Amino acid sequence: MITSMPRGALWVLVVLAGCAALAAAAENRKEFHYNLGPHAAVSVMNQFGGVTITPSSDSQVGVVALLRSTKVEVDATQRGGRLELRTHFLQNATPDEGRVDYELRVPADTSLTVRSTSGPISVQGINADMTLEGDAANIVVRQTDGGHIHAHTLSGPVRLEDVARGDVEVITVSGPVTMENADGRMVTVNTTDAKITYDGDFGDSGDYTFANHSGDIDVTLPASASVDITATSEKGGVSNDFPLHALAHTAIPLTQGRSFAGTANAGSSSVRLRSFSGKIHVKKK
Amino acid sequence: MTCAEFQAVLAYIIDNGGNAEQQEHLRQCAVCSDLVSDLKYIAEQAKLLVPMMDPSKKVWDGIKSSLEREGLVKDSARGSLLGSTPLSRWGPANWLLPVAAALLVAIGLLYYQNRTTGQQASLQASSGNAEAAIAPAPPLQFASMDDTQDQQVLSEVAAHVPALTQAYRLDMQRVNAYIADARGLVTSNPDDEESRQALMEAYQQKAMLYKMAMRHSLP
Repeated sequence: MITSMPRGALWVLVVLAGCAALAAAAENRKEFHYNLGPHAAVSVMNQFGGVTITPSSDSQVGVVALLRSTKVEVDATQRGGRLELRTHFLQNATPDEGRVDYELRVPADTSLTVRSTSGPISVQGINADMTLEGDAANIVVRQTDGGHIHAHTLSGPVRLEDVARGDVEVITVSGPVTMENADGRMVTVNTTDAKITYDGDFGDSGDYTFANHSGDIDVTLPASASVDITATSEKGGVSNDFPLHALAHTAIPLTQGRSFAGTANAGSSSVRLRSFSGKIHVKKK
Repeated sequence: MTCAEFQAVLAYIIDNGGNAEQQEHLRQCAVCSDLVSDLKYIAEQAKLLVPMMDPSKKVWDGIKSSLEREGLVKDSARGSLLGSTPLSRWGPANWLLPVAAALLVAIGLLYYQNRTTGQQASLQASSGNAEAAIAPAPPLQFASMDDTQDQQVLSEVAAHVPALTQAYRLDMQRVNAYIADARGLVTSNPDDEESRQALMEAYQQKAMLYKMAMRHSLP
């Protein structure tokens, strides 16, 4: 087959194969293993590149780091039950050259601190405190139970799925925030200029505050949700098609089209929705 | 009169001006004079924290979480330390806490900037005018701090991650618009809890923006 190919095409194939081999050689894979003991703490400080964390099947911490050039290295320091991983620039590098992608497998009770300017940051199945930060990083947290979750970005979107019984604080400037099936004792989402979407039942006895300057706040909840809701938008307007019982006394002054308040079922979770110029929609699932 | 003697009756001096001997020491001693000025300034600022309301549980839970996260309080100490905190002492200012946090970040940034600038100046002046290099920084002017700080933060970002400068500038504008609108709400409804919360949240955004920007200048 190759012999029947035009001579030019054959040369192109050879060059491409050479480039692929060079690229593979440039990508440097490092692997580390640690025994940190129960309730360990792991931090990852990365400038460019992703950080993916999943639970391990044993008590070990496994780290795989893919370095895209020799201009960076990974500094790994273990002190007792604490492990710090840091991308260290050996010389000036472009974002591509300085990129390091980390894949960690840690015991589910390991607390995490992760910073990556570009991200993405993905955490799944970890039931401990975590602080996740990135300027433009796309942050995703899935399947956690308990623990405090702090997610801070500037423009990076934040997504929380199947988060139970945790304290959650999400702050972004322009990164949209999406929460699906997420509940907790105290859940705060604060953005400046981004949409906040919540789809879930708000659990039981939780305290939820979703606030922004502009950008819509969309809340979808099942008929079984037990909530005490107040919603205010100074200039954006509010709409509600979820059946709520009106309150004799409300915590906020009510203005048609700009605010509403009410309870559903026992009203066990407090939900405050506040925007300056965004629209607030509350819908029944 | 010695500085120790003077400072032993500082509270009386600040309240009543002090006697002739103390006034004379105040005029002659730059250290004590600066100390009195600083304390008077702090006292003036503290008056802004006028009693308005008790803090919500949420505020204290947030502080508690932060202390725990930073390792300043251990699990076993939670109850005793935070449980015994005189809440009413902080009560008046719950909506000002993030404002204070943003200001602290700003002051920290200014200090860092001044120190860096001072060090650079010292190096430059090592063979020349050393006196100029150790000249004290001008006093902080809080009224114009926001804009100055924004520019300094953006300069830091430009110096360390130039590719992010434009993104930070845009986000800074967004956050400043948030703060301006929230301030407007508080001005028109000073007793409205929702408005104060909005202002608190706007300053929380600013504090986070500063914090994330400064992380880029850390080694």
